[in-house]
Amino acid sequence: MMAPFFKYDLFGDEFSLIVAVLIGFGFGFFLERAGFGSARKLTAQFYLIDLAVFKVMFTAIVTAMLGVFYLSWMGFLDLSLVYLSTTYLVPQLLGGALLGFGFVVGGYCPGTSVVGMATGRVDALVYGAGLMAGIFVFGEAYPFIEGFMYSTDMGTITLPQLFGVPYGLVMLVIVLIALLGFWAAPSIERYFRNKLTEEV
Amino acid sequence: MHELTSTRANPLIDPSLHVWEWQIPVYLFLGGLVAGMMVISGYFLLSGRHKRTRCACFMLPSLSLILLSLGMFALFLDLEHKLYFWRLYTTFEILSPMSWGSWILMLVYPAILANLLLRLPAPLQISFPRLQQLSDQLVEHPMFAKWVGAVNMVLGSLLGVYTGILISTLAARPLWNSALLGPIFLLSGMSAAAAFVHMIAREAEERELLAKADNGFLMAELIFIALFVGGMATSTQVHQQAAGLLLGGPYTAVFWVFVVGLGIVFPLVIQLLAVNHKIQHTPVAPILVMLGGLLLRFVIVSAGQLSHWTGN
Amino acid sequence: MTVATNLAPSEPRRQAAAPAIESRRGSPFMNPYLAGIGLGLVLLSAFFIMGRGLGASGAFSSATAVVVEKVAPEHARANDFYLGYLESGLDGHTMKSWLVFEVLGVLMGGFFSGALAGRLSPTVDKGPRISIRGRLAFAFAGGILMGVGAKFARGCTSGQALSGGALLNVGSWAFMIMVFAGAYALAFFVRRQWI
Repeated sequence: MMAPFFKYDLFGDEFSLIVAVLIGFGFGFFLERAGFGSARKLTAQFYLIDLAVFKVMFTAIVTAMLGVFYLSWMGFLDLSLVYLSTTYLVPQLLGGALLGFGFVVGGYCPGTSVVGMATGRVDALVYGAGLMAGIFVFGEAYPFIEGFMYSTDMGTITLPQLFGVPYGLVMLVIVLIALLGFWAAPSIERYFRNKLTEEV
Repeated sequence: MHELTSTRANPLIDPSLHVWEWQIPVYLFLGGLVAGMMVISGYFLLSGRHKRTRCACFMLPSLSLILLSLGMFALFLDLEHKLYFWRLYTTFEILSPMSWGSWILMLVYPAILANLLLRLPAPLQISFPRLQQLSDQLVEHPMFAKWVGAVNMVLGSLLGVYTGILISTLAARPLWNSALLGPIFLLSGMSAAAAFVHMIAREAEERELLAKADNGFLMAELIFIALFVGGMATSTQVHQQAAGLLLGGPYTAVFWVFVVGLGIVFPLVIQLLAVNHKIQHTPVAPILVMLGGLLLRFVIVSAGQLSHWTGN
Repeated sequence: MTVATNLAPSEPRRQAAAPAIESRRGSPFMNPYLAGIGLGLVLLSAFFIMGRGLGASGAFSSATAVVVEKVAPEHARANDFYLGYLESGLDGHTMKSWLVFEVLGVLMGGFFSGALAGRLSPTVDKGPRISIRGRLAFAFAGGILMGVGAKFARGCTSGQALSGGALLNVGSWAFMIMVFAGAYALAFFVRRQWI
């Protein structure tokens, strides 16, 4: 076991910020490469005319998921030291729905809005201002909803633990869903693009 | 966390080592920027570029005057005995960098003014026709421009080096005990000035030339910074502690991310791609270079004041 | 995947837009699977080096907390939500936090990729059937919804869906399903903005 490096004190807090910039650089680079600095490209997912969001997101999740699994299976990575956030089910379900609304209305999610700003998108900048306004609204309401925020606490729990099945099986199911989606994507895109053109 | 050192190097015990706030870094930055502008406009004069009407060099002297005066004003704000300012000019001490500095600054103003005279700004041309006559006569004289150019280049380099030497002679601060601060501050001033002229230049050829020059300055600056940090980290124990401020200490992230990363490496890569016509020219890289130069002074000045001889 | 979208517009469109979303300027976008692998490897390196995933909304929260503290210091410090962010930075500097620096990197990486591809330009990204002011109003409103949502969910698409998703976190997958459900549910009503 030697990783996560930071948790094994290979470097300190100050250096971790330099690592943060480098990792963020890679994150922003690939988001922009995929075209995610464009709100139209992102929201095309919700009209099923361009499923790039699904393709990129699931490829990334599958890559990282398999990577984490193999690295810990080979003994390089101590998975128990990788931060897993606590599940508060109902607040997260509510938050997810609101975030979905915000995504299709605003056109970005927070990470992609930063990439939009970096490439000169004015709407991304306005979206970022709205994002801070939303956080401010939440912050002002926080004293009244603090109890709700900590309700339905399920602890740190993973899907294999929840269903009582092996880790590998859950990974297999996710990989199969992703592959099914990738296989179906071209025909879905073609169908909805044709439908759109006919209507025009 | 701040530990109070009760023996030395503590503003409460050693009032002479009073804390430098924003004034000194701003002065050092503006001084360096003006130094770089003097060298660049001096080079333009020497190479005969000023004969072209759209040369960016015509804007530099008046801007230099304004920026240098702003810098001097910042320095003045930092002085505790403002009324005794003039006393710096009553002596010349060969060993005192302060004294050198005030005399260099004394010479810098006339050099910039001579440069200004070669091409008067439009408002001055109208209100002082006599001055314009003088200017016309001087331009006729072929050697005058060359001399002004050479003097500006020499004095600009001296001013740039001096901004670094000034703090490196303050022996009480181990982080500043490096002769490399002179060239680092000179190069940083040169790169900031080149970036600025690159940004305002109207001729594509001039823009390319300055972007290329800027890349050279930035690369040299990187090498000198590496030597500075490396040399300090392998020196005596106090110097190692001082270098530690930038290698794991509280200034690590800001120094490597903002000064080196955003201020040098990132704009360098962008400008390298831009001069090779892989990407378009944007003002982003020059602005980052200038901000990086300003931040370099802030980090060195404020980290330096945290470094001291007595250890912990 | 739910396919619940009715795309029949009530009126004919004035101009025909190319339905496929390709790069409007500069070089074409990267193959989505290649970009996904790249993104996955970045995420994996975050797990491997730092022991944590990626994020974005946290940096906006830090910035918001700083603004609130500048305007009303006592008010901000009395609120556990702001206080959590105010005290999360190194040496007492709120903005000296991991996510803020990471988002700074996102800004640099996005700019660099955009510059390489020739995709830098000040524009407003929108479909052909909405005015610029309308689009900006929607962007602001969407931002507010997203801000509130991301705080309820304790993370956004990067922090919860991507990072938690790869670790098979229950809350993250529940969240992700709701994100898509919410977006598809509302997509029909804002379609004039995009297509």
